Amino acid sequence: MEDKGNHFRVPVADTYRRKSPFGQLLDHMEKVKKCIDILGDGLINYYKGNYTGFSELAKNVSKIEHEADIIKRNLRNHLPSSLFMPVDKGKFMWALREQDAILDHAENLANMLDMRHTEIPKKLQDVFIEHAKIVMETVEAMQDTVENIRDLIETSFVKREREQTKQLIYKVHEYEWKADQKKFEMTKGIYKLEKKLDPMDVYHLLKIADWVDDIADHAENVADWIRAMIAK
Amino acid sequence: MDLNLLFIAGGAAAIGFYMAWSIGANDVANSMATAVGAKAITFKQAVLIAGILNFAGAILLGPHVAGTIKGDIVKGSIIADPHTLLLGFVASLLAAAIWVTLSTWKELPISTTHSVIGSLIGFGIIAGGISSIDWSVMGRVASSWVLSPVVGCIIAFFVFKVIVKTIFAKDEPVKAAKIVGPLTIGVTAFLIVSSLFLKTKLSEMSGVSDLSHVLLISTVISAIACIIAMFLLRNIEAKSVEDYATVEGIFRKLQVVTSCYVAFSHGANDVANAIAPVAAIIPLANGEMSLTAGIPTELLAIGGIGIAFGCMTWGRRVMRTVGGRITRLTNTRGFSVDFAAATTVLVASKLGLPISTSHTVVGAVIGVGLARGLEAVDLSVIRKIVVSWLLTVPVAAATSAVIFICLRVIVG
Repeated sequence: MEDKGNHFRVPVADTYRRKSPFGQLLDHMEKVKKCIDILGDGLINYYKGNYTGFSELAKNVSKIEHEADIIKRNLRNHLPSSLFMPVDKGKFMWALREQDAILDHAENLANMLDMRHTEIPKKLQDVFIEHAKIVMETVEAMQDTVENIRDLIETSFVKREREQTKQLIYKVHEYEWKADQKKFEMTKGIYKLEKKLDPMDVYHLLKIADWVDDIADHAENVADWIRAMIAK
Repeated sequence: MDLNLLFIAGGAAAIGFYMAWSIGANDVANSMATAVGAKAITFKQAVLIAGILNFAGAILLGPHVAGTIKGDIVKGSIIADPHTLLLGFVASLLAAAIWVTLSTWKELPISTTHSVIGSLIGFGIIAGGISSIDWSVMGRVASSWVLSPVVGCIIAFFVFKVIVKTIFAKDEPVKAAKIVGPLTIGVTAFLIVSSLFLKTKLSEMSGVSDLSHVLLISTVISAIACIIAMFLLRNIEAKSVEDYATVEGIFRKLQVVTSCYVAFSHGANDVANAIAPVAAIIPLANGEMSLTAGIPTELLAIGGIGIAFGCMTWGRRVMRTVGGRITRLTNTRGFSVDFAAATTVLVASKLGLPISTSHTVVGAVIGVGLARGLEAVDLSVIRKIVVSWLLTVPVAAATSAVIFICLRVIVG
């Protein structure tokens, strides 16, 4: 025991954790929030052809990703089999994993964009910006879902809170679907311009569309795992 | 009375007091730490309340358990010599006190109850062989060790489920809490009052021993408690439907009552650990063979004062560390744990079963966890508890045996 002055003989206090796994999941989500916030703004500037400060942004995203990684590792390493949680531990870990995947994708995307400044054709700019905004909204909806875990635990998963979480999850699905539709629109637009564009540009534009959309996909996965977690 | 024997009796009382002190200092955290951690009361208030209620519990309900520890485990009929018995009880008390102190110093999770019983067995085996121990009583005691965490777990599970069903699942949780909270206080008051009047000194003094009388008094007092609680909570309003913070706030107030309940039960149950061997020594010092005689109130008072003194002197120190750690347990959870643990301990005391308060609390925490009430429960503490069962009894027995042999050689 770390505390020398502690004369408490029976491990009552050891029965429950001081740092709860859900608290750490929410801490991790704060990092996702921070990261997606700066990436979202940066992405829109980038689409508009404004590349100033994008390198710093990419570095920042990497830094946040690393901080989140530490939380994730800590959580993973301190979840012994003897720990009993009100939800399935496997599903909990999957939710965390998907949440972390958002950051991984954000990092890869930011660094790729920084390596080559690909100009977005004027015709496609609006669709690209709209898509980015929908993806951000998907992530925000996912954040609401994750934050509702607090109420779920406080009430020991009563019906009202479960229904509320399901509503929030439904919203995530809706946004993700919208993001997919926008992505098809973007891809279609890129193929239409393929004759006029440099092949390398086409390749990169398609990649940007895919990678940005991946963020929404993983946000949806987080919501799905939470849905599985609260299922009776 | 022989001067030597007087010395022994005085010494035994001193060791008993010391043991009571260490019990008070350590176990006060069980009852009050959740309330202090949740900032429902201050440290000073907590140790004061705990001290007084431990004392009250010890005086009013102590004799039942003390009887079991004192007279039933070691058969007086086999070890017929009062001198041997006397030495044996001194050795047991000393061994138990030493073991408790050592483990407190080493921060080992042990139970004072288990060490007292272990040391009695140790001396019994040396003095009169295996047959001098009443193994059926021992079996009953041992089964209560296993049962107490299990019962604590089950009660806590259901208490928490009731809170969820009647408060959190309702459309207006705060409004529901304002009704359910006082009702639970009523139940608590009923349990305490009825336990006070069933076969205790208080019932003898007041002349109330009839079951229907007891039930009537308990019902009236619990109704009064219920109304007072409702009155005190009348001004609380919900800020929104999901205003769970206010629900917790209501339970923060209610938790003070259940904390007192734990302190009271703890006094009733644990005073025996310190006092039963002393109670056996005093008549023996007069050369009498009266293992079945009652336990004098003065001795219970010494034990009660010891526990209270322990609460007030070192309890603060223990609680500061535990109170900080325990904050993860929110008020509704702490309430369930306190209620379950106190009820289990109180019923066990009534039945004369010496059980471990701390282990019951651990059982109750696990019960709330199983009811999906806690974010994470570390079940590996169960292993620690089992190890402490397996370790404490033999070690205390061996220490007691060694001290007994030494005393026999020295005193003759």
